[in-house]
Amino acid sequence: MSGSKAVAGATPDEPREPAVPGSSGMSLACADVSFSYEEARAPIPAVRDVSFELPAGGSLALMGASGSGKSTLLQVVRGLDAPDTGAVLLDGAAPVDAGYAALQREVGLVFQAPELQLFAATAREDVAFGPRRLGWPEEQVTAAVDTALDVVGLPPAHFAERHPYSLSGGEQRRLALAGVLAMRPRLLLLDEPFVSLDPGTRRQLVGILERLKAAGVTLLLATHDVDLAWALCDELLVLGEGRLVAAGPWDFSTAGGRLLAENRLREPFFVELWRRLGRDPQRAPRSASAAAEALS
Amino acid sequence: MKATIAQYYAGDSLLHRLDPRAKFVAVSALAVALFVRDSFAGLAVYAAAAVLAYALSGVPVAWFWRAFRPLLWLVALTFVAQVVFAPGDPFFSFWFIHLSWRGLELAAFLSLRLVVLVLVGSVLTLTTPSMALTDGLAWLGRPLRRLRVPTDELALMVTIALRFIPTLLVELDTIMRAQRARGADFRHGGLGERTRSLVPVLVPLFVLSFRRADELALAMEARCYRPGAVRTRLHPLRAGWSDFALLVVTAAVIAAGLLV
Amino acid sequence: MSSSPDETAPLFDISGLHYRYAGAQADALADLDLTVHEGEFVAVLGANGSGKSTLARLLGGLEKPTAARHALACGHDLLVEDGRLSARRDVGVLFQNPENQLVAQCVEDDVAFGLENLAWPAADMRRRVDAMLARFGLEELRRREPHMLSGGQKQRTALAGVIAVPRRVLVLDEPTAMLDPAGRDEVLMAVREMHADGLAVVYITQEMDEAVGADRVVVLGGGTEAYAGTAAGLFADAVRVRRLGLGLPAAGELALALAERGHALRGLPLTIDELLAALGDAP
Repeated sequence: MSGSKAVAGATPDEPREPAVPGSSGMSLACADVSFSYEEARAPIPAVRDVSFELPAGGSLALMGASGSGKSTLLQVVRGLDAPDTGAVLLDGAAPVDAGYAALQREVGLVFQAPELQLFAATAREDVAFGPRRLGWPEEQVTAAVDTALDVVGLPPAHFAERHPYSLSGGEQRRLALAGVLAMRPRLLLLDEPFVSLDPGTRRQLVGILERLKAAGVTLLLATHDVDLAWALCDELLVLGEGRLVAAGPWDFSTAGGRLLAENRLREPFFVELWRRLGRDPQRAPRSASAAAEALS
Repeated sequence: MKATIAQYYAGDSLLHRLDPRAKFVAVSALAVALFVRDSFAGLAVYAAAAVLAYALSGVPVAWFWRAFRPLLWLVALTFVAQVVFAPGDPFFSFWFIHLSWRGLELAAFLSLRLVVLVLVGSVLTLTTPSMALTDGLAWLGRPLRRLRVPTDELALMVTIALRFIPTLLVELDTIMRAQRARGADFRHGGLGERTRSLVPVLVPLFVLSFRRADELALAMEARCYRPGAVRTRLHPLRAGWSDFALLVVTAAVIAAGLLV
Repeated sequence: MSSSPDETAPLFDISGLHYRYAGAQADALADLDLTVHEGEFVAVLGANGSGKSTLARLLGGLEKPTAARHALACGHDLLVEDGRLSARRDVGVLFQNPENQLVAQCVEDDVAFGLENLAWPAADMRRRVDAMLARFGLEELRRREPHMLSGGQKQRTALAGVIAVPRRVLVLDEPTAMLDPAGRDEVLMAVREMHADGLAVVYITQEMDEAVGADRVVVLGGGTEAYAGTAAGLFADAVRVRRLGLGLPAAGELALALAERGHALRGLPLTIDELLAALGDAP
């Protein structure tokens, strides 16, 4: 398979931090991307003329009401649907360029509902599905599975032989993530990863994503949770009815605030706090400890 | 998602307001007549009646066409099969193909009949919500209750099944996408390979469906559903003069088609 | 409507409740006590798998308790079949996933489903359904098919269907978990209105700030009651909160981080207003 070469090529400069898969992140650019489904009655939203850039190793929160096209955009970026017009550029390469398919295989997409993604008889088999499709030799697959399970906090010794459906909701969510991480994505797309997790499991997942970010993986995170988006992502992209409403660094100026409100989003907690304390909301902290540091 | 048969079109035409039982009886009778009568003249009468009924329904042609388009294949296949295999003196022969005027005539008749049949059936499904249709069928099936056939429960089951078809299709699509995102390939490879690649798709679909059935049963019980208990309906079936008129008109149309 | 034998008795009066799923090794709920009075708003918290959803099913008379000293819902004995059937009429239960609760093929038929099951006359049903559609802002959508609704609209439809049957208490099992912020606000607003109208609510949630305004908070941990009391009392012990798989509201989290740096605030703020007030008081 051509994919194995490209992925193997990505590995040498990687294991500075062996617990985290992936290596240097992939840059992403969408240029005038439009996509709509043929069946107009289907409740699957369209995406229209969306352009943005996400540098390698960057992190972008994708926000907007349900039905605004977030999931559709993620699937187009992953290449599950070809855009009607425009192009998705990966590491600057366009779909017509040689090696684009291999780059696409380095884009990982985790869907919202874990129960739609898990199917094998054991956690190990499930996570191994992707790496095997990449044509990796079996020992490399085993290593990748073990690493991925470790990274998501499901130690193989305890979890590898468990049946995916015997796991709790939070564990299933992390297993679905492991199935994608095992393929060593350089760009990770996540669709509402925090939904119906308890606060403890949410904290774990935030920790995992922070480590991936530190390891250089590029993150594109679709979420409704503005506080977690602010904690994890450098930049913000807002979709409204399939169109791009805002893209770039978080903007809490008057205009930026209005834009958030118009799209039924609120300010992150720390931003509101900073504004009400008379401080510059643009420089609001991203975590409780950073806020305490600034206030002490 | 693909439209299956012609789906209900929300409207307020005369046909929409008719009792589903009357509509079902009329359409069934017409369908039987279509099969019994094998002349172009009879077919023409029924076709005219079907077109008139469709015009009365007020359903946009585009709506019907979208559902009908996939069926064109079936019509074409009927036509070709009849042309190729029909008896008669061939005026043209090549290998196993023998064209005869008789064959062409038969092919035209059968495919036209199929089109009229679909149109007649569509008028029913386009103007009747499937819930009303199942209610009507449950009523018509009432005599079966004597034989301990739980017709009302069956009708509710059918309603729920219809309600969840679109949901299941979306889920199926999502499952396949999630696996394509991990490198699964449903489009290439041999038949065996493609069949094997479907197993991982069906497993989550089944698991999900069982869980859904469980949750749905709870939600229904939470709203006081008890199998076998007496229920009333928000939209009770009410037959009136117009329904009686429909049956009379249908009988007249059938008779006309049989006599011409 | 069935009437309770004693209007002043608690709506839920449950003691020593056990529940074990068929074939399971351990109890999903063990020795649980719960009392809920008229007009109360009780929040139930707990990590994934702590037994919250099982509790909702039991309270609604939808499962048979494995054992209990006593288990009464609106005066009906949940330990016997007839009691559970009656309880289903007085206790409304709304589940997390709106998709799996809608039975009918359009909004108004779904709202009517419970009344149909109770064999209401069609004219009364029409009036009640119309009132529910108006109350939940669903009039325009009455003929809409469920799969063409947004998440918030689906959950409002399900809620209208639960409330269409006159209820004495409402049990909500993470009703906002699958919704976007706008959908969440829609549902929360509807729930608050019903509570303001006097309906008692048992509100199961994963969102800590949704619990802050509750009259009482009950936390489940490992199938049993790990805490019962006020929200402030719960969040005052941050170590316990974390051990139970929960978290503090953001304001409390920040106050804790300040305390760790030697800048303890007076009291534990749980909302941004309380936090600003406490910061203003701080030296």
